[in-house]
Amino acid sequence: MKVVRQMVPLLAAIIILLLLFRIWVPTFLAPENMLDLTQQISVNTILALGMTLVILIGGIDLSVGAMVALVGTTTVYCLSAISGDTQNGFYLLISILAGLGVAALFGIFHGIAAAKTAMPPFIITLASMLIARGCALRFNSGLPISIGDQQTILLEIGNGRLFGVVPFPVVIMLTLFVLMALLLHRTRFGQHIYALGGNREAALYTGIPVVRVEVMVYLICSVLAGVAGLIHTSQLYSAEPASGEMFELTAIAAVVVGGTSFTGGRGTIFGTLIGAIIIGILDKGLNQAGIHYSLQYIVKGAVILIAVYIDVRRNRQAV
Amino acid sequence: MNSALRFLIPLILLTICITGCNDGSDSDSSQAESAATTGRLFGASFQTMNNPFFVDLGKGLKNELEANGDRLVILDAQFNSLKQKNDLSDLILQGAAGIFVNPVNWEGLKGSLLEASRKKVPIIIVDAPVKKADEELIVCTVASDNVRAGELAAQALAKVNPKARLVVLHLSVNKACIDRVEGFKTELEQHPEMKILDVQEAQGTTEGARPVMRDLIGRYPDLDAVFAINDPNALGVISALDSANKLDRVTIVTVDGSQAGIKAIQAGKLHSTSAQFPQEIGKIAAEKMLAHLKGESVDKEVKVRVELITAENAEQYLESH
Repeated sequence: MKVVRQMVPLLAAIIILLLLFRIWVPTFLAPENMLDLTQQISVNTILALGMTLVILIGGIDLSVGAMVALVGTTTVYCLSAISGDTQNGFYLLISILAGLGVAALFGIFHGIAAAKTAMPPFIITLASMLIARGCALRFNSGLPISIGDQQTILLEIGNGRLFGVVPFPVVIMLTLFVLMALLLHRTRFGQHIYALGGNREAALYTGIPVVRVEVMVYLICSVLAGVAGLIHTSQLYSAEPASGEMFELTAIAAVVVGGTSFTGGRGTIFGTLIGAIIIGILDKGLNQAGIHYSLQYIVKGAVILIAVYIDVRRNRQAV
Repeated sequence: MNSALRFLIPLILLTICITGCNDGSDSDSSQAESAATTGRLFGASFQTMNNPFFVDLGKGLKNELEANGDRLVILDAQFNSLKQKNDLSDLILQGAAGIFVNPVNWEGLKGSLLEASRKKVPIIIVDAPVKKADEELIVCTVASDNVRAGELAAQALAKVNPKARLVVLHLSVNKACIDRVEGFKTELEQHPEMKILDVQEAQGTTEGARPVMRDLIGRYPDLDAVFAINDPNALGVISALDSANKLDRVTIVTVDGSQAGIKAIQAGKLHSTSAQFPQEIGKIAAEKMLAHLKGESVDKEVKVRVELITAENAEQYLESH
């Protein structure tokens, strides 16, 4: 019940925003437009799901945007190198595993470095953001690599629709949302995450495998960024080494607007989904209402401030 | 519930504030308002608005469309191809009559082009080419004649220094810049005594050009000319040469025609810039769109003129633009 009560202001904000934009844009609530909204938020939501876990343990992962680019370029590069002009499901699987494998390596490195050294996660992931971006730019001298027209399975991931209605990115997003919600709120691993974020020392003394939990959390975050990267690449019909810049910041924004405490220990996966939806509605609504692009920055900044301010106040009242 | 109220009140105030700001910020609001109720909606998505070139291009589009009683929404993709894709689907679903696109990633535009053609929304590409394979999905491309701009720069240099030993500052990921350098090199074949010592990447920005140019001065003490691919680049070159006390011995030519570039010409620091006409690109693109919507046929590729600006016509150019 407590969780539901916490979500009331956020849900109300969604409804109010939808109605407000409905006033400006008559077609705003049309089913097609709403379906497009869910499709538009899918990449950011998937990034934000992983980011929620990292922020819950008091960490941060600045490398997810670069990971989007690196996984996309690795996958498409492998695919065109081994399968040439033909479509082959097995080769596609290998290429995707290569892409996600690279992301997993980065994730494991982040976890170990954060748990075993005194280096702050901000700096660790800042460095690997640069390294991953550099690696992505090594492919095709930094130019986009297009996905061949014959690679219909890969193109379907970002552009196809389940039963001709629900876009696949939305299906993937919702599946991952349910999985992550179960993982965080229904397993011992989830309890460990909260314990670690609440008080690291105490977690250590109560016998929680701190290093293992931390490595798992960063690993999940990186691999989810990889999945987002595959969708992103497919949607753009090409892998773009320079893409994904600032994605980490939008993901962090969705997490904090969704009520997760930036210092760790408090927050929910459901909140993150709501946060991503709010940011998505703002993006779409401000665009369709014809708001000048300069004002769009200001409004989004203001909304993040308001959301976090309320969160901080609520937090203080709780203590 | 108390906290819910606390969240909602600022939100409502904020939205009221936006509506207020938005109406106020439209410079010619009376015209915009009448257009908003009667005219068709057009959209434009630019790779960035953080460059005067695109601000002017947008102005050209807007003036032409509003004169026709229509309205234009300009969206800033912030160099983010996913945002551009989302912006375009927002415009398409809103029923835009036509959309102007300056692509962030010309490989990445295909999904949006397919969506637009399914919904029968015509697309015009501005200031950039698209892939040959995607040409059938668009009405046309409207861009500066970048090859010509490069040729003009080479001619201007040959006139003052026919034996120039020069370096080129490039941005080789950008098709427009590739065309400029190609035009420059083609023209250079007419002047066999001129020699390109080196071609270096300098990001197309002022801060990118400065360190690169300083290194080049050290490596080639006898260099006496520079071709920079745009005005910001040329300004970085000027700053590097100035601090090495070599500005008076080196001739710099470039392409762009920005205010800052022309001022540098007037100050005697820059020899020439092959000016582009972004407002004209916008105007012509809008005209082509309106013609297409009337059912007229439109050329697939429209080149917009460029003009050489030197100290002789700098004053006149500034006054007329």
